[in-house]
Amino acid sequence: MFLAWNEIKNNKLRFTLVIGVLVLISYLVFFLSGLANGLEQLNREAVDKWEADGIILTEESDLRLQQSVLSKEDFDGSGVDEYTELSQLSAIASNGDKKENVYIFAVDPSSFIMPDVTEGNAFVYEGEVIADDTLKEDGFEIGDELSLSSTDETLEIVGFTDKARFNAAPVLFTDQDTLDTLQYGEFAEGDSDAINAFIIRTDNLNNVEADEALQVIDTETFIENLPGYTEQNLTLTLMIYFLFIISAVVLAIFLYVLTIQKISIFGVMKAQGISSGYLAGSVVAQTFLLSLAGVLIGLALAVITGLFLPAAVPVAFNYIEMLIYGIILIIVSVIGALISVQTIVRIDPLKAIGG
Amino acid sequence: MAILELKKVQKTFGSGRTKVEAMKETDFEAEKGELIAVIGPSGSGKSTFLTIAGGLQTPTGGEVMINGTALTDLKEKKRAALRLKEVGFVLQASNLVPYLNVGQQMQLLDKVKKGNLQKEEAKELYQSLGIDHLIRNFPRDLSGGEKQRVAIAKALYTNPSIILADEPTASLDSDRAFEVMKMLKEITKEKQTATIVVTHDTRLIDDCDKVYKITDGKMELQERVHDIL
Ligand SMILES: Nc1ncnc2c1ncn2[C@@H]1O[C@H](COP(=O)(O)OP(=O)(O)OP(=O)(O)O)[C@@H](O)[C@H]1O
Ligand SMILES: [Mg+2]
Repeated sequence: MFLAWNEIKNNKLRFTLVIGVLVLISYLVFFLSGLANGLEQLNREAVDKWEADGIILTEESDLRLQQSVLSKEDFDGSGVDEYTELSQLSAIASNGDKKENVYIFAVDPSSFIMPDVTEGNAFVYEGEVIADDTLKEDGFEIGDELSLSSTDETLEIVGFTDKARFNAAPVLFTDQDTLDTLQYGEFAEGDSDAINAFIIRTDNLNNVEADEALQVIDTETFIENLPGYTEQNLTLTLMIYFLFIISAVVLAIFLYVLTIQKISIFGVMKAQGISSGYLAGSVVAQTFLLSLAGVLIGLALAVITGLFLPAAVPVAFNYIEMLIYGIILIIVSVIGALISVQTIVRIDPLKAIGG
Repeated sequence: MAILELKKVQKTFGSGRTKVEAMKETDFEAEKGELIAVIGPSGSGKSTFLTIAGGLQTPTGGEVMINGTALTDLKEKKRAALRLKEVGFVLQASNLVPYLNVGQQMQLLDKVKKGNLQKEEAKELYQSLGIDHLIRNFPRDLSGGEKQRVAIAKALYTNPSIILADEPTASLDSDRAFEVMKMLKEITKEKQTATIVVTHDTRLIDDCDKVYKITDGKMELQERVHDIL
């Protein structure tokens, strides 16, 4: 640390540059991780809210909710702790001013997937909905009359709930009757039995006894098969991994150049009998200090940026994940320094001292 | 017992037509408390001798013993440790770390080795070398002579039993050069080190206990100092 720190103090410009590069890389990593996270939530929030273990869809559904059409009688709850039906419809909702893509979920108000109301009231009468918070940020209010693209029927927002976006669109919650009316018109005959899925809670999905034509999948698999979800995640994750490699390479090059410049100094110290281990340790310690500084500054910048981002930008920081990424950045930087360590070990003190 | 001993040491570089015999077979001993001068023209093998004696390079043949330990048996790591413990180098080129100030150069040695000079002893050393006012200076702010004196201080700081100095007075004016030689002599006697000084300057060898002369890699003890003068 002694050598490492004094060298940094005496070559401020040089090491500021190194830290600067690390700040940029780590800032990008943190921001991308925030973006990945935000986009993930955008897709899955509403599903996570269920706290369900699995979902039952038809075999032909291709794991897509809207393509799974089944009847309430198709599953009798054998092998699960709790289950409930879910129907859904996607639509474009407008309050006259604003238009938004939305999902309309029909849920049983007494079931475990009924969302908590954070503002206003739960739906009671036909045509009433609870809307996701983000609609409020977009200018929708309680009492707003919503016209839909696909039907002449209208809906009314009676309450809001938080964290209820599904596949990148806010969700409106209502009851089955309302959804039936939207789908089949006001004079639809009797009760429709058609739903899209059963949401289940159970300790063991293997114990669920469902009809041949149905499939039981765990919640995570369902989410991963949301359109675009996995592709998006993979892209961002790949970018983050590339940044890890880039930061290792950049730092390795920087340190290598610095080490080459210092060969004679290292040689002189080795001539005196200072061990390669001590010198290598000092380079590693230096890398650690530099990457720690870079990562901390990058982290601070990312968090500050996050505070000023408009709500429309889907960035959500997961601090634990950021901490892990920060640690990885530091570790790969230190790995990058190992090339220099090898150089130091190989320095022949005799060559360095001349004479 | 000799603290430093070279037995039939010999060094050649290259082979065939480019072969250089930098050191012909040499026996050499240095006792504690001895100040030894090695003189010879440029390219005669003085630095080669000194670096072999200090374990910085291995001889082509023969054996170097420091304080009873044969160097050829040791791995580089052990040799480095032995150098740190027993040998103080004062090199031809400056051996200061550019980003450490004078005081920190010594602190570095405290980090890697115990039993170095105590504060008071160090202060005395700095005073006698005339560098006590330069402790906070970085090498870039020192003159060539000052650097050399700091290098000497650095070599002495670890309390070595052997001091190997390659032209330690080269960049000093003659007053300072005499003073440095006087100091090396004092330290040699006081601390009972074996001190070997390579020099061009024959005026500086008066105080030495023994004088060797190297010509073309052949090292010969000068019976009487005055023979050379
Ligand atoms: N690594 C090497 N490879 C080949 N030849 C070498 C090497 N090191 C030294 N020599 C040769 O060995 C001889 C002795 O060199 P050395 O450096 O010991 O001389 P020196 O007496 O210290 O000279 P100076 O007073 O100029 O410093 C020279 O002829 C030199 O060219
Ligand atoms: Mg020389």
